[in-house]
Amino acid sequence: MESNDLKVMFFLAYKNLTKSKITFMVIVAVMAMSFLSITFFASIIDGLGYEFEEGMIRGQTGHLMIEPQEDDLYISDSENLVRDIRRIPGVVGVARRLDASAVARYETIEIGNPVLFIEPENEKDVSDYWSSIIVGEYLSKRDTDELLIGANLVKSYAAEGDTQKRFDVDVGDKITLSFSNGFVKEYRIKGIYKTGSRFVDDKIIINFDQYELIFGPTDDIASNILIALPQRGMEETYTEKIIDLGVSAQINKWQTKMGAVNQFVGSLQITNQITGTIGLLTAFATIYIIIFINVTNKRKQIGILKAVGIKKQIILGSYVLQSLAYGITGVIIGNIVMKLLLLFLSIHPLSMPIGQVVPILTTERLMTTSATLILASVVAGFFPSRKAADENILDAIFGG
Amino acid sequence: MKKAIIMTEHLERVYATGAVKTYALRDISIEINEGEFVAIMGKSGSGKSTLLHQLGLLDKPTKGNIIIDGNDVINISEKERTRFRLYELGYVFQSYNLIPELTALENVYITAMARNLKRDEYEKMAAEILAAVGLEDRMYHYPSELSGGQQQRVSIARALVNKPKILFADEPTANLDSASSEDVINLFRKFNEEIGQTIVMVTHEKDEGDKADRIIWVKDGLLDMEKLENI
Repeated sequence: MESNDLKVMFFLAYKNLTKSKITFMVIVAVMAMSFLSITFFASIIDGLGYEFEEGMIRGQTGHLMIEPQEDDLYISDSENLVRDIRRIPGVVGVARRLDASAVARYETIEIGNPVLFIEPENEKDVSDYWSSIIVGEYLSKRDTDELLIGANLVKSYAAEGDTQKRFDVDVGDKITLSFSNGFVKEYRIKGIYKTGSRFVDDKIIINFDQYELIFGPTDDIASNILIALPQRGMEETYTEKIIDLGVSAQINKWQTKMGAVNQFVGSLQITNQITGTIGLLTAFATIYIIIFINVTNKRKQIGILKAVGIKKQIILGSYVLQSLAYGITGVIIGNIVMKLLLLFLSIHPLSMPIGQVVPILTTERLMTTSATLILASVVAGFFPSRKAADENILDAIFGG
Repeated sequence: MKKAIIMTEHLERVYATGAVKTYALRDISIEINEGEFVAIMGKSGSGKSTLLHQLGLLDKPTKGNIIIDGNDVINISEKERTRFRLYELGYVFQSYNLIPELTALENVYITAMARNLKRDEYEKMAAEILAAVGLEDRMYHYPSELSGGQQQRVSIARALVNKPKILFADEPTANLDSASSEDVINLFRKFNEEIGQTIVMVTHEKDEGDKADRIIWVKDGLLDMEKLENI
């Protein structure tokens, strides 16, 4: 192909695109909407999955969770272990917890509940309880007779029509906790928290020191130790660093602690892949048909160009260039609209039962969708224009 | 003695629909000389346009041979035929067949652009030929903004911009009013007389044919021997 061939090719493509503005806008709009229809739904599903995981990480597991070996009930010498782990460069937070259960009673209502014993200041670094207080205040180290209660246990935060047994309590009210060893103590509600995650919002939280009061001397034990890292994906590196400290307990990554959530998120991802693939195929077919019709309508023009001596390759190239322009412009506009939607939804997240969901558009999905749609437009431009360019000139001009 | 620029030998064009064969052209052997203005005439369906399509390399005959300017144009590649159409032939259609997305000037220079010419060269060539057909004030108009007669003049300018050896015209006045038709025929006459342009024109208007140097009559796909004029 000679340089002047390219010149004619670009010239024809440019003129067709700029003169047929309505066609251009319609095709680009379809491309952009196809892009959005694929990526938007997928991003919500991804955001939902992420939120599920994040809810677990920020409420129950941290990025890493140290737990007793199978034969042990507790991690021993936990305070020193926390101190050593905190010294590892990059570790964002370390907090130990103790778990128990108790029967909580308010007036005539009794509910069996998990009780979480936390160190309030350390806990701030690994979970979101402190920032999820909706009424009252977060615990302080000195709070010996106070507790935090999850919104799922409080009647006034239940959904309309909900019949589950809940406490009709508010901040300042007193709840009596009865533990399995017979220990009974009355605690004042200092705050009500609501993370939005149903896995987290059903706990009663009291100070770590209370465990010893309730169950007697504990010899510096912990049920688990949560570790927050700068970001996801660094779990392996930090696990090795913690092993190097000589830790004998289990070090679990958040992924291994997800259990049913893992299955749920996995199912979401599979659903997302299936709907994404169907969406891509549908978009491919739609774009193919639209561009196919457009190029087929130019059959006469292709015949005329051939009749006046324009090379087949130039004609074909000009239509492929036009289709490429449709594809790239549609994808760019789709990207811009999607970014704006993501920006809007990051400021106003979607309220879902698991919490505030912000859609997530992964680079991989962005690239795959963009590339597929651009490819669809090029293929859709190539085949009909090649067919028209291969056709007998008279048939192309006069129809045959 | 004038040189034969077009020669056909026993040209035949058959259209086959299943087992049925229709002979659009049969045994056409003609010669057209350089600088000649020839009209091809005949009734509707006689095969005159089919003959023009073969000569203009828009179609391929089933049998026979065509020699243009000494070149066998039947047994050459499609690429060569395309090159031939660009450099050596010009074509004017009945329904103008301009590209609607291009201005008059662009419609004309697109074929010059396809040759290895610089922008100012092909723009100048296109502007000159548009001026020659009387459209210097319509160069930047799109086909939809031009009358039928003006569009046909743009089409003539496009056909002539590369200074082709032969200009083919397929019923160029069929869609025009009588004044515009006369303009077009006069333009052909002008280019034929002034620059010696070889012109082969299909028409069914006898008075237009009479303005040509010679008429080739076609009937039922054959040369009409009764009206033979120095074939």
